[in-house]
Amino acid sequence: MSVRARVVSPQGLAETVFRLRELGIFIALSLTVVFFSIRATNFATAGNWRDIATDVSIVIVVAVGETMVVLTRNIDLSVGSIVGLAAYASSNTLADHHGMPLVITAALAMAIGLACGIGNGLLVAVGRIPAIIATLATLAIYRGVLFQVTHGENVFASQLPQNFLDFAAKTPAGVPSLAWIAIGVALVGGAVLRWAPWARDFYAIGSNPDAARLAGIPTTRRVMTAFAISGMLAGLGGFMFAARFASVDVVAGRGFELDVVTAVVIGGVNVFGGSGTVLGAVLGALLVATIQNGFTLLHISEFWKIFFNGAAIVVVVTIDALITQRLQENLRRRRRAEIMSAREQAAET
Amino acid sequence: MSGLGRAVWRVVARWEVILIVLIVATGIWSATLSSFFLQRANLLDLLTPYIFLGLLAFGLTFVVIAGEIDISVVSTMAVAAASFAHLWNAGVNVWLAALAALVVGTGLGLVNGLLIGVLNLPSLAITLGTLAAYRGLAYLILGGEAISGFPTSFTNIGGGYIRNELPVALLVLCAFALVLGLLLHATRFGRYLYALGSNREAARYSGIPVTVVRVTVFALAGLMAGFAAITYLGYYGSVQADAGSGSELIDVVTAVVLGGVDIFGGSGSMLGVLLALILVAELRNGMQLANVSGATQDMVIGGLLIAAILAGNALRAAQGGRLRIKRAGSRKEVTQNSQLDSPVQATIET
Amino acid sequence: MATQAPPLIELRGLSKSYGGVQAVADVSFAIERGSVHALVGENGAGKSTLVKLLTGVIQPDEGDIAINGAVERIADPQAAHHLGIVAMYQEPTVFPDLTAAENIFAGRQPLGRVRTVDWRGMRAEAARLFGELGVDLDPSVPVRGLGVADRQILEIAKALSSSARLLIMDEPTAALSPNEVDNLFKTVRQLRDRDVAVVFVSHRLEEVGAIADVVTVLRDGRHVATRPQTELSHGEIVRLMVGRSLDQLFPKEEAEIGDVVLRVEGLGRRGVFSNVSFELRRGEIVGLAGFVGAGRSEVARAIFGIDRADTGELSIEGRRFRPRSPRAALSRGLAYLPEDRLQQGLVQPMSIAINTSMAVLPDLTPGGVLRPRRERALARRFMEQLRIKATSPAQVVRGLSGGNQQKVVLSKWLAAEPRILILDEPTHGVDVGTKADVHRTISHLAAQGLTILLISSELPEILGMSDRVLVMREGRLVAEFTRAEATQERVIEAAAGVREVAA
Repeated sequence: MSVRARVVSPQGLAETVFRLRELGIFIALSLTVVFFSIRATNFATAGNWRDIATDVSIVIVVAVGETMVVLTRNIDLSVGSIVGLAAYASSNTLADHHGMPLVITAALAMAIGLACGIGNGLLVAVGRIPAIIATLATLAIYRGVLFQVTHGENVFASQLPQNFLDFAAKTPAGVPSLAWIAIGVALVGGAVLRWAPWARDFYAIGSNPDAARLAGIPTTRRVMTAFAISGMLAGLGGFMFAARFASVDVVAGRGFELDVVTAVVIGGVNVFGGSGTVLGAVLGALLVATIQNGFTLLHISEFWKIFFNGAAIVVVVTIDALITQRLQENLRRRRRAEIMSAREQAAET
Repeated sequence: MSGLGRAVWRVVARWEVILIVLIVATGIWSATLSSFFLQRANLLDLLTPYIFLGLLAFGLTFVVIAGEIDISVVSTMAVAAASFAHLWNAGVNVWLAALAALVVGTGLGLVNGLLIGVLNLPSLAITLGTLAAYRGLAYLILGGEAISGFPTSFTNIGGGYIRNELPVALLVLCAFALVLGLLLHATRFGRYLYALGSNREAARYSGIPVTVVRVTVFALAGLMAGFAAITYLGYYGSVQADAGSGSELIDVVTAVVLGGVDIFGGSGSMLGVLLALILVAELRNGMQLANVSGATQDMVIGGLLIAAILAGNALRAAQGGRLRIKRAGSRKEVTQNSQLDSPVQATIET
Repeated sequence: MATQAPPLIELRGLSKSYGGVQAVADVSFAIERGSVHALVGENGAGKSTLVKLLTGVIQPDEGDIAINGAVERIADPQAAHHLGIVAMYQEPTVFPDLTAAENIFAGRQPLGRVRTVDWRGMRAEAARLFGELGVDLDPSVPVRGLGVADRQILEIAKALSSSARLLIMDEPTAALSPNEVDNLFKTVRQLRDRDVAVVFVSHRLEEVGAIADVVTVLRDGRHVATRPQTELSHGEIVRLMVGRSLDQLFPKEEAEIGDVVLRVEGLGRRGVFSNVSFELRRGEIVGLAGFVGAGRSEVARAIFGIDRADTGELSIEGRRFRPRSPRAALSRGLAYLPEDRLQQGLVQPMSIAINTSMAVLPDLTPGGVLRPRRERALARRFMEQLRIKATSPAQVVRGLSGGNQQKVVLSKWLAAEPRILILDEPTHGVDVGTKADVHRTISHLAAQGLTILLISSELPEILGMSDRVLVMREGRLVAEFTRAEATQERVIEAAAGVREVAA
């Protein structure tokens, strides 16, 4: 007496492709690695991979936070400024207090990021300012705060305690310390998005904001949380930035948001919200970093990198949106045609 | 409220009037900071550094009124400027190179327009991508070079002075404001934009060629970016690939939003944007006099942007209430449950 | 005598009017738990208004709603949700990116030991719900891949899971195949057996017969009858739906009917309507009747170029016509007054003058330059002709009454001086005075040689105005009546597919 529910086949195929998006990126990543290993000398060396890992770790950490925001159908463009602010705070604190444990410093950086993120959340969720505008404004505001605090002065490597300067270069178990942080954040982030009920709400909000509200989900609170996390992780990214580059100036982190958004978009996190995973964002970040590293080693102009980032976003968004549009349209028409012919048959009997 | 009071209120409670009040107030503040402010030379020169921003803002105004967004305008300007410089450096006549800048700008705008207008892709995500892609293009054209030394006949457009006093830039800006203002408020095309931004579906049913208009408006923004590039080169006398990668975007967006253009489309005026531009220029000038650093200035402008949107939201909420501040054109029914790309979203969901 | 428990929901004297039009007047009836309660009536009878009142979308002007004997104020949809009232529409509200199980438990996922999401438990519970409802749905299937039928089952499972007391289904079977309808009904019966009340809004009388326990008939916003389904035959339901006297005839002018101006042959749009063929003659008013979802507006939109038809041919005055866009249609003398006045007909924040001139701007703007004076003059002309009550052409359209708004939309299309005018529900939600004005205008236009296709759900209007009546059902043209042949019962029967002979 039960009813067989069908998933209409062609839709099922495309659906599978979508769900295996992460697999697709992984394949692309593997191919990229193979390609550059062959064509570029010095690519497949431990030293090079250490460099890639160290740099991409910062992107990954911030991308995890950005993923949460994008899931709710918003965007956070202020992460670059938050990274700069937190980086400066980290360096400055350590310059003045050589004995400060690194963990505390990192916590301080995250706290600053958290405050910035809450600011963003208030503007978007409470102030109802479109996220693109709000975070464009806070991008400038937080950068301005950084300037106020620094008075235009840098923190120089010579002022920093040795343990901090050595931190980024350490490789416990052969893996750079920053990469360990990234792995940790990715694992925790992925776990939270999978297991925490309030994080699952991000998906619902991004997928259908009205239905989410109707279902009783406190959307304002959730969106604020997403921005808060994004800010906090950007703060951690700032700490890592300071560890990596030692000398922190006023323009630290400028343009960083583009790297992060590119990673997230390529990683299959839908700009409309509702779908995407931390794994995807991580793979996306890795793919972008690898390609850029490969470009450098192949002596391809620096400037192709910037173009590539932007072009990648346009291409990925275009393809994603086109596929979804066509799929939905086809599904709708096919279903209705089925119904009409089924009805005609019934009428004739 | 008495009849007279209501009449006065109707005249006074317009967004543009409020802007004028703010301009005067800022002027007074600046004057207290330094007597230099009120000197004629300074006042006339107020807008000169902002000419290219103004032109970009004018172009963006058309896009936003039509219910879209385009954050790639500054990058488009950079590519146009880079193209110009590259061609001129290679020996091409300066005026032909300037024409090329216009063509490049329009072309890049057209790309946006085709992706968004024809393929119905979300304007936010696409222009975020082209913002970066075009910036990269600028770098590809110019590399790390800075090109300068343009002939004075050319640089006069952005940086010249008539009789050593009247900035050409001011005249150019006013001329464009006038022409574009007429285009927006007095032509069929402009009317179509307002209709589109207010209610795209009704516009379509009324026989308005929606797709063509949308593509055109992005191309127009690109063309304005081309003009902006020319004046940029005129004012600075040189160009690098990172032109406009600083606070320019936020200034442009602020000028548009502060000018009373509803971010969701359907209302706004060119006069408002011009006034907002003056206000922003005046504010920065004043802050300069007060020795406020550039980054801090950016902060203030960012705050202004937020305040302008919040004010707009408050107005929309108060609509139907006693408090009513009129904005030129019309106001759109806002459904606050989705982001700017909601019309597109509707086509993707079942 | 045993005390009877109060009914689950009791509507008491509910009234609601919009802009001068009484949508619902003094409606009272009771909905019992554990019953399937059908709500039937023509379009505009007040069914959707009642649904909106029950789901908190709007508030009643008079009367109240009692739940289990206690009066409740349903302030908004969330409050309705809290009270256990859930509504389900033709297009179910889902989260396309989430799985079936996640959809059911959105916002209230079952939690495990450490207050994390209990995925296994969620899947198991979803599977159990599906089992209870007798459906074989995979809890882990992404909802984006599900068709409408399955999404509806999902919504029902959601309602069951969140302990809904009343599930309102608004025309749920429009997009379902007969098989899927059967399955839906099986599920609904499961719900009923679990003491949930189901309100089933539909115009498909055979379905009403198959599933309903009780039937409530509405007519012109008033409650007509609430009776057990077994006591009502289809014919009787039809009579209750339309049983009004037709003495309110409209002043139809004599019009000379001339040659064929529009010929539609085999028009079809895959999955929406098929094989639609008819002719319209000069001076004719042809009514197009049918229930919501029959495809009437879709046919109009295809003719006007808003949607693209897959098959069929059109010719205007003998010449072939391919409707590529509204603009193209306009240039051939076609005009279409859309169904949804606010969303499709008007740019609300703009003035009467601007709205009136919107479709004819190319003619009013030599060289592309706006001529506000001409626009105002145009608007004034129609304001006078159609008796639009407003202070001036500069008045913003949003502030006008529904009737006056509709007149503005009509002005817009009349300004285009069309030869063929398609009107889609032109007097929907409009006061009596305006209705008369519109009818007078339509009649006059036909007398002057215009051709009118009148899509309407108001039977008196169709019967009073039309020279011929076409009836659509389920995407096909099923009947044609001349003015003499057409009666309310015959039209409704054709529209509903009832085969009983009218008394």
